[in-house]
Amino acid sequence: MSGVRGLVVEKLAVTGPAGAIVHPVDVVVPPGRTLAVIGESGSGKTMTARALTGLLPSGVTATGRFSVDGDALELPADPSAWRRVRGRRIVLLMQDPFTSLSPVHRCGDQIALTIRARIAFERGADRAAAVRRDRTVRGAVQAEVLQRLAEVNLPAEVARAYPSALSGGMRQRVAIAAALAARPRVLIADEPTTALDASNQGEVLDLLLSLQRAYDMSLILVSHDLGLVSGRADEVLVMRHGEVVERGRADHVLVRPQHEYTRKLLEANPSINDVMGSTAASTGQVGPTGQAGATAEFAAAGAVPLASTDDSFGPESLLFAEGIAKRYGTTQALAGVDVDVRAGEVVAVVGESGSGKSTLARCLAGLDAPDAGSVRLGGETLPPRRRGRTPDQMQIVFQDPYSTLNPVFTVEQTLREALRVAGRPAEDLTELLEMVDLGPEFAGRRPSQLSGGQRQRVAIARALAPRPRVLICDESVSALDVSVQAQILELIVRLRDELQLAVLFITHDLGVVARVAGRVLVLRRGEAVERGTTADVLTRPQHPYTQLLVAAARDDSIARQNHDPAGSLP
Amino acid sequence: MSGQPGAPPGSLPGPPQGSPHSGPSATVGPRTTQLRLLPRGPKPAWSVVASFVLLGLVALAAIFGSVVFADATKQSILDSLLPPFTAGHLLGTDELGRDVFALLVAGTASAVVGPLVIALGSMTIGIVLGTLAGYHRGWLDMIISRFSDVLLALPVMLLAIVVAGIFDAGYWMTVALLVLLFSPSDIRIVRAGVLEQAPRPYVEAAQMLSLSRWRIMFVHVVPNVWPLIVTNVLLNTSFALVTLSSLSFLGLGVAPGTADWGRQIADGRGLMADNPAALIAPAVLIVLVSMAINVVGDWFGERLERKGIR
Repeated sequence: MSGVRGLVVEKLAVTGPAGAIVHPVDVVVPPGRTLAVIGESGSGKTMTARALTGLLPSGVTATGRFSVDGDALELPADPSAWRRVRGRRIVLLMQDPFTSLSPVHRCGDQIALTIRARIAFERGADRAAAVRRDRTVRGAVQAEVLQRLAEVNLPAEVARAYPSALSGGMRQRVAIAAALAARPRVLIADEPTTALDASNQGEVLDLLLSLQRAYDMSLILVSHDLGLVSGRADEVLVMRHGEVVERGRADHVLVRPQHEYTRKLLEANPSINDVMGSTAASTGQVGPTGQAGATAEFAAAGAVPLASTDDSFGPESLLFAEGIAKRYGTTQALAGVDVDVRAGEVVAVVGESGSGKSTLARCLAGLDAPDAGSVRLGGETLPPRRRGRTPDQMQIVFQDPYSTLNPVFTVEQTLREALRVAGRPAEDLTELLEMVDLGPEFAGRRPSQLSGGQRQRVAIARALAPRPRVLICDESVSALDVSVQAQILELIVRLRDELQLAVLFITHDLGVVARVAGRVLVLRRGEAVERGTTADVLTRPQHPYTQLLVAAARDDSIARQNHDPAGSLP
Repeated sequence: MSGQPGAPPGSLPGPPQGSPHSGPSATVGPRTTQLRLLPRGPKPAWSVVASFVLLGLVALAAIFGSVVFADATKQSILDSLLPPFTAGHLLGTDELGRDVFALLVAGTASAVVGPLVIALGSMTIGIVLGTLAGYHRGWLDMIISRFSDVLLALPVMLLAIVVAGIFDAGYWMTVALLVLLFSPSDIRIVRAGVLEQAPRPYVEAAQMLSLSRWRIMFVHVVPNVWPLIVTNVLLNTSFALVTLSSLSFLGLGVAPGTADWGRQIADGRGLMADNPAALIAPAVLIVLVSMAINVVGDWFGERLERKGIR
């Protein structure tokens, strides 16, 4: 196989202490081409990526062989063999730009480190330190740092900045610059944009792809986000339980999936375009006539669905908050925001991190006391500071399924406690579990024995135990895999209808909004920039910021939309 | 506004669909986050096993020692200063003719019970004050933290010597004093653990259910700090063992003539030439037991951490 350019992987398998994690897989990625590896958590996609850089956790081993531009490596390889490959021919770009950069070194120095390592390698020296002492290269290294920063569209000042001074998107650009400074032949990007805001994701990924083409690298893009991958990858590999269930050209697999699992993934992937189609009709409150029906219904209900007007507000709403403001230190997290939610309605609050949407949720729930403004529930004004004083009226479901339940409590203990608080009999436990589609066998389990989706179901059951009238969901599905996400969203919509809940749904994901919400509130830097019905805001955004958000979300699913009508449903 | 919902209410009695890989085929491969594939079954090292055996023997001696060797402190000048391995006296006798082995066994209770009481007592203070400080923050935290700072600034040994010496305090008085002096480290450790747990969503969810503060603190939060607590109790036990023995070596806390390891070392100092075991045996025992407690404490802490909280 010598002479073959690009990355060639043969019979790569990964084995852990509990058995096979990845079953043998063959992959070829020619230079300049992109392979997307898609799957949900536990599918083995990250392990595959890590096996190619020799960065597997202890107790996990890889077998097989791979070659980069004909230079082969047999696995398992010893550390010295890896040093020849890792960080030189193959570079791994990590998911989290908040931890992959060293917090105590300037960004420029971190890029320079890679450059010096490369120069040292080219000279045949073993250590980058030898190059650091060499004054003749110093100027060249500095010049290249600036060049690399310019390449990722960052100003030269960033070289002197510490990572903490940069936004997530900028940090990931620095990480890309550092990764490319090694001039690798193969770049493995493990969920490179998952930790970024929606509007940043497409931009950073496109930058990565343009650099990949410019340098003629092979790129492996590991992702769970089908929307992001479609239109960007050449080939797709869909993994499940460590096995490849489907592979092929991206425009085939993502448009006409052959395997049922791929089809399920595509369907579960929430897309902003749902608001146009039948999904909104079945899950939203827009009724069978779809978008037009929604508009009509809101107009009839006195909620004029015009953007940027306050007409859609009514103090008669179940939850009605006015002028909520909150300041943390010198940051104005919220600058006077109004919200209202009626019984049996889902209102989404959309914004990027830092927009104040979580602060809004906390102020409404009474976990934080707002500096100004009032919260009224069923016509009654609530005291601002009431941590744990209004149990049955309002409940909140948090984002992270891993810390939302007390790890030492069983499901039963958690739910019994919530029932007792509301004065409900302990026998209601079964009913509560049924409500969130969990069998009675879950009662005795502890959180560590549950999956993320199951934990979130328990959290929802706990929140509903006191029969609240308002449910606040603070990014409650963003930590979950898409298929689980779809189930939880369905559950929330169903409970909204069954229990006539007023639901305030905080999210950064417009695809999720399209699935569940009847109305939307767009927050930016603590201010409401737009509000209206979901259909209106997503199809005719008025505010430039909303337009940007919608455009970013639309780009990600555009490929699907174009092919969708006949393709995905055989 | 109820309309026609997409999902018919209550018509989904199917199996729980929480995880895409909870099906039967999920038996292969890891289920949780991929990087959490570190050692699963803790296999105790030989040092842990040996420590458990030693501590088991010590526990037996502490419970039954004074019964079996009821006359350990009986003096018999005729048999004084017998070397080790004399028939009937495994470790020989001291200058008063007391059997060194019998003294060791009979002294176990006073050597071990005191430190246990000190560690548990100070941890009780630590749990109450540390949790209050860590959960409530604010002025209460200020007061409790400054209180523990002041206690921490006091030299434990010196203060114990002064108090025990001047007021001629007995064994239990000394133990009570040490309970107080050992508490600041417990307060700090529990406070730090609670501080870390308090902002977690499960605590906020409990607040949203308006559970009482006491219930949230001691039923929800403290059990999650348990690994820290257990480890520190054992660590303090071994430290208190050394401290108490040092005090009785100086002749404080323990009445002369009682069976006690520290006392034995003090008495054995002059007997190196005649019966070295009178000095070496209790000294080695103190070191071994405190080491064993440390080893077991570490092992417990690691295990608890691995089992529960992630």
